[in-house]
Amino acid sequence: MPVEGPDLVLTTRDAAEIICHRAGGPVTIGQFLAEAAALAATLPEQGHAVNLCADRYAALLGFAAALLRGHPTLLGARSGSLDGFLEMAAAQYPGAYVMAGAEDERRPALPFIQVDAPRPGVPLPPLRPIPAERVVAIGFTSGSTGTPTAHAKPWGALVAAAAAAAARFGLRPQDGPPASIVATVPPQHMYGFETTMMLPLREAVAIHAGASFFPAEVHDALAAVPPRRLLVTTPLHLRVLLAEGRRPPPLAAVISATAPLAQEIALAVERDWGAPMLEIYGATEAGSVASRRTVREDGWLPYDGTRVRDGAAEVPGLGTVPLADAIEPLPDGRFRLLGRLADMVKLGGKRGSLADLNRVLAEVPGVEDGVFVVPEDIESNPAARLSAVVAAPGRTPAEILDGLRGRIDPVFLPRRLAVVAALPRDPLGKLPRQALATLLAPGEEA
Amino acid sequence: MSIEGFTTAAETVAPASSPNIDLERDLARLIVTALSLETPAEEIEPEAPLFGEGLGLDSIDALELSLAIGKAYGVQLRSDDERNHRIFASLRSLAGHIARHRTP
Repeated sequence: MPVEGPDLVLTTRDAAEIICHRAGGPVTIGQFLAEAAALAATLPEQGHAVNLCADRYAALLGFAAALLRGHPTLLGARSGSLDGFLEMAAAQYPGAYVMAGAEDERRPALPFIQVDAPRPGVPLPPLRPIPAERVVAIGFTSGSTGTPTAHAKPWGALVAAAAAAAARFGLRPQDGPPASIVATVPPQHMYGFETTMMLPLREAVAIHAGASFFPAEVHDALAAVPPRRLLVTTPLHLRVLLAEGRRPPPLAAVISATAPLAQEIALAVERDWGAPMLEIYGATEAGSVASRRTVREDGWLPYDGTRVRDGAAEVPGLGTVPLADAIEPLPDGRFRLLGRLADMVKLGGKRGSLADLNRVLAEVPGVEDGVFVVPEDIESNPAARLSAVVAAPGRTPAEILDGLRGRIDPVFLPRRLAVVAALPRDPLGKLPRQALATLLAPGEEA
Repeated sequence: MSIEGFTTAAETVAPASSPNIDLERDLARLIVTALSLETPAEEIEPEAPLFGEGLGLDSIDALELSLAIGKAYGVQLRSDDERNHRIFASLRSLAGHIARHRTP
């Protein structure tokens, strides 16, 4: 499906509509555009924006200003090896500069633009259509070894994805009162970018800006925004919110992504919070491509205009994008996820290759042989972590960990690390799972 | 910078937050249990960083920790707290924060 049309301006929403709920009060589209134009006027002629804003409004403002100026925004990881990411940005993206808020840490590696600094107003330039094929954002998959791979996001693809999500979740103007989104995912993660940057720009959505990470903050944020409230979150957060036991204010829906949601969590949300529990399936490369209501549906329904087949998705504005999951098409147009392709592991919203991780482990000084071990409950326990068994004579687990730190994404660092004389390889060189599990069992010292 | 240094110093000597050795020991055990750490609780250095280098915790751990601390001490952790970096700086600072805010 081609993406085109005169509505490819930054926003088609009315100036009086609310785009963001901040501590100081709601911000209208008109006020937002004025601030974005003023910020855009201070940006260099050419460049790439590395958007590190923690505050959701600042992040949105920075993205819009870069867009008005014609600069792509690099959606860099806010955690992990940020310094490595900035070095890469400085080396590969001409004119790269950091956008951050006053509260955010300064990074000396790149020129710094403070998004929330007061600045004189400028006349709002007329909103011209942005070419559908222009790359306006670049998402990154860090892989397991921390070398970021870029995924270009053309404006038309992002607009089409926002429209498809709005149609799916009832976020168009004709679907009812505007929705208020409270999110627990950073705006720089592709899922957070789509839901808290693209949706408020394009659809009948206002985002909450302010801290919404810890359970107490999520409850306060939900109480601070008007209905229809939408909680955009992850299995990890849902598990903690449910375990904590406080009932949130009435929710129009809860949306989860980044990892499969356990059926029992979905059931608990629907029962205890009285809200539909919806799941999105997507990836940084393809963006969101399908959704389901977990308690009722095993199969995923692709977004309008998107087709999903084994190993790939056809996405409007992007074309064919490979997927990291095995997929079984169902007769009703839905599909079932059969699990990750061998070798892939996903933790904390980050995807890595076990082969890559094992290679880095083998390169740590003193390591003769070593292997990462994926826990049995990786798909059901949102807080699951990797372990490792390492043959490294004379070395301590702490030394091996130090050797891994900085070379792999921190989320993949082994939580349990057994140093042994030799790995329990069978005559074929394979590692029986049970033998590794025994070595990693609590109380077992090699 | 000097004000921050002063506040930190003042907090360490103030009677309400002088090192809570018992609470620190208790909290260290809670951290090890809640996060399934391999490090024995008694080996966690009171002044060493909990996140990044040091104990190497991350945001997934922070969330788990907030749940365990809420249940054990009735203290709700927040990231919008201006002192957030100091609260999570070490076992000692986290214990101090809990001591000041726990329900008696």
